Amino acid sequence: MNSAWCGREARAEAGAGARAMLPWLAGIGPFGFVIGVSAARAGIPPLAAWLTGPLIFAGSAQVAALALLGAGAAGAVVVVTVLAINARLVLYSAAMAPYWRGSPRWWRALAAYLIVEPSLAVGLDRYRRSAPDDRQPAHLYYLGGGLVLWAGWLATIALGQVVGTRVPAGLHLEFVVPLFLVGDLVPRLSVRAAGWAALAAAAVALAARPAPAQTGIMLAILVGVTVGLRASGDADPVPVPAAVPEPLSDAVPESLPDSISDPVSDPVPAPAGARSGDAR
Amino acid sequence: MIVWLVIVAAGLGSYLLRISMVVLLGRVGTPAVLERSKPFVVPVAFAALAATSLAGQVEANLAGLLPPLAAVAAAALAAQRIGRPYAAILAGMPVFWALTALLA
Repeated sequence: MNSAWCGREARAEAGAGARAMLPWLAGIGPFGFVIGVSAARAGIPPLAAWLTGPLIFAGSAQVAALALLGAGAAGAVVVVTVLAINARLVLYSAAMAPYWRGSPRWWRALAAYLIVEPSLAVGLDRYRRSAPDDRQPAHLYYLGGGLVLWAGWLATIALGQVVGTRVPAGLHLEFVVPLFLVGDLVPRLSVRAAGWAALAAAAVALAARPAPAQTGIMLAILVGVTVGLRASGDADPVPVPAAVPEPLSDAVPESLPDSISDPVSDPVPAPAGARSGDAR
Repeated sequence: MIVWLVIVAAGLGSYLLRISMVVLLGRVGTPAVLERSKPFVVPVAFAALAATSLAGQVEANLAGLLPPLAAVAAAALAAQRIGRPYAAILAGMPVFWALTALLA
């Protein structure tokens, strides 16, 4: 392995990425916790339920898989549902691919495994500040953030499996997820094209909620991006928002405890009925 | 046994979705429209996910529309003023809890 992957500067970049991910952990940790509760109640072997974390690594798809498995659905139905919910990952993959072109094959294989909303957001913000002829620091930043996300996600699922049933459902911890998404979204809307794109995506997502397996999310993303492109013309549409943590300095808010862990949050919201029910 | 196989298959399929464009675009290059689309992916994905999730919360909350909507308004305001996503949680959750308790 090239020494550029393990020197002191490399560790600093990876550490900065990890710190940039910590606020995300506060947002998606409760979601992982709720999934852990779902896993504990799914009626399947606990280890198998936990393995949806490292294998599927996307919250809403995990919730759907656990609910379907618990209900005794056919295997093909479970797999197709998970893949339909995760279809948006293809778009995320396309967004990251240009930054990974020319990098080692092992790197692309590992980095692709870590793609999900939080790592996409943290990674893209860093890649946009990177030099086209030297992506290495941004790779390490993404890796640091992605690994913290991965570890935190799996830990919160396990925690939810073990102690989640004792947390009062009235706290509605699952509400933290949409609040965090709003908190991350709002500072990105300072450019009008991004605002129109987000508005269109939200409207389509709401209108398409009855669509099976959350396929409406995929449609909403496609429509939102199209609207954004039309609104922006040929201009560069969305700058890196001021809210995005800077690389090394102030990525860690002082108010967050060190022990915060994460989710893969995929943060993809679960089907409404499933998640609210799981929390109880 | 079938449960384990299903979870592994779902995980493998999810990984193939994740790496699909990395492999494909690594060979053929990125179309210009995809390059221009990149800045929009995160905002539109988060907007769609937040809207869907909020709609689910509104349906599930017995206290009605007010607590989640007021919490989101507080969260958006805090995020805009402070510029950090966690501010949305710190502002929104107390509003949600308080209104839910008052209206229940």
